[in-house]
Amino acid sequence: MTEKAKILIIDDEEVVLDSCLQILKGGAYQIRTAANGSLGLQVVEDFQPDLVFVDLKMPGISGFEVLEKIQDIDSTIVVVVITGFATVSSAVDAMKKGAYDFLPKPFTPDEFRLITRRGIERRRLMREAIALRREKELLREQFASIVSHELKAPLSAVQQNLFALEFELQKSMNEGQREKFERIKTRIGDLLKLINSWLRVILVDVNKLKEGFKPVSIAEPIHTAIENLAPLAARKDIQIEFSAESLPAVQGDALSLSEVFVNIIGNSIKYSPSGSVIRVAARKEADRVMISVKDEGIGISAEELPHVFDGFYRGKSGQQAAAGHGIGLAVARQIVEAHDGAVSVESAPGKGSTFFVSLPVSSVSIP
Amino acid sequence: MTKKLLMIDDDPDFVAGIKAILDSGGFEVDVAYNPKDGLRALEAKQYDLLLLDIMMGRGAEGIMIARKLRKHPKLREMPVLIMTGMREQIAFLFPGEPVHPRFVEVDELVEKPVEPQVLLDKVNALIQTAAAKRRAK
Repeated sequence: MTEKAKILIIDDEEVVLDSCLQILKGGAYQIRTAANGSLGLQVVEDFQPDLVFVDLKMPGISGFEVLEKIQDIDSTIVVVVITGFATVSSAVDAMKKGAYDFLPKPFTPDEFRLITRRGIERRRLMREAIALRREKELLREQFASIVSHELKAPLSAVQQNLFALEFELQKSMNEGQREKFERIKTRIGDLLKLINSWLRVILVDVNKLKEGFKPVSIAEPIHTAIENLAPLAARKDIQIEFSAESLPAVQGDALSLSEVFVNIIGNSIKYSPSGSVIRVAARKEADRVMISVKDEGIGISAEELPHVFDGFYRGKSGQQAAAGHGIGLAVARQIVEAHDGAVSVESAPGKGSTFFVSLPVSSVSIP
Repeated sequence: MTKKLLMIDDDPDFVAGIKAILDSGGFEVDVAYNPKDGLRALEAKQYDLLLLDIMMGRGAEGIMIARKLRKHPKLREMPVLIMTGMREQIAFLFPGEPVHPRFVEVDELVEKPVEPQVLLDKVNALIQTAAAKRRAK
């Protein structure tokens, strides 16, 4: 803050106002006073103080009310309540309602100066934190829009024209030409998927998901995921089996949970040989729902095992490591952890892998 | 009778890729490269289906068109295929999954780019659904 910090003192006792002004005189502050709550609130609106001292006991509207109204106006304004003797409990109440601190009457000049400095510092930090958060948000949005507009849109247009060209030529193409088309389409498609994954990581704040949590029957997102992956599984002649007993609901977001299973089962498909089976099972274990995804794939070595959920990490178990971007499992972990759940994996090279997702049972049942 | 389609999308290269497929599929396709021209075309001529891009101009201007259609007594019966490159707009949806944004009575959403057969199937299905709905009224 380059300009002088602004302080407002609201108290019905003139002697308190006077002594406060006296104490802070010569400091780098702009100070206003108000003799009651309503006047004080008016000053808050025009003056936009950094720090407000407010007496809890005043005629007219109470200090508590003033505190609440100030927070409605701007919750970053730091409020310190002034309390008389033996009203520690009301000071505690005020702090519960958002006051930063309290100042018991009578106070010494040093006490007052100290609490003023701390209050101003608090306000500075709050504003800094908000500015930083905004900046981060802006960067995230800008980056996402660059990725989507400058990379994704042109690539989509390329792919769309390739689709059109192939469609027009489909009857006159020979096998070799068809193969080349397939190769180009696959590589561009992979690139688009990669951009989508990046965008997901950049744009979606998994912790915000929590705001929309509802009781979800876990079988539902698993079914959605398996349906989504059916074409991919069919291409590799892989069978996905799903068995679930009747299960209690979990608290969560059905769409992101289905993304978890798309990523985990999709990963299993990627590393499974043709003709193999992937077994998905869900069961209740104490107060958790445990979902397992077991494949007959190439497996994961002991040294790779701890890193599979790390992001940008891709299995490299020699044999034809399939194309992927190593981000799906990391996204799955993030989502599961936002659900207060956990992911884990058991595997050995050549023995296949089993991925586990455990989610806490919802205390609320499905309406 | 040849079905008439209108496509509103601000990316001429993408439009060319879609239009070529629809042309081969026997549709007659008009194109508007911005929402304004698109609305004008909708008022001036009758179409059997609208292909609508979401991210145009400064933001999601395509949504604005969909909202206008919804309020329009006649145009709200026209089926709309919404095409978007930003799958984040449609939450965590996956490519190819049928989605019903329900902007108007009959609509569906696909992610760009769209495979030719998927495109033709969806366009035909939407036109048929809209016709069946009209007959039922």
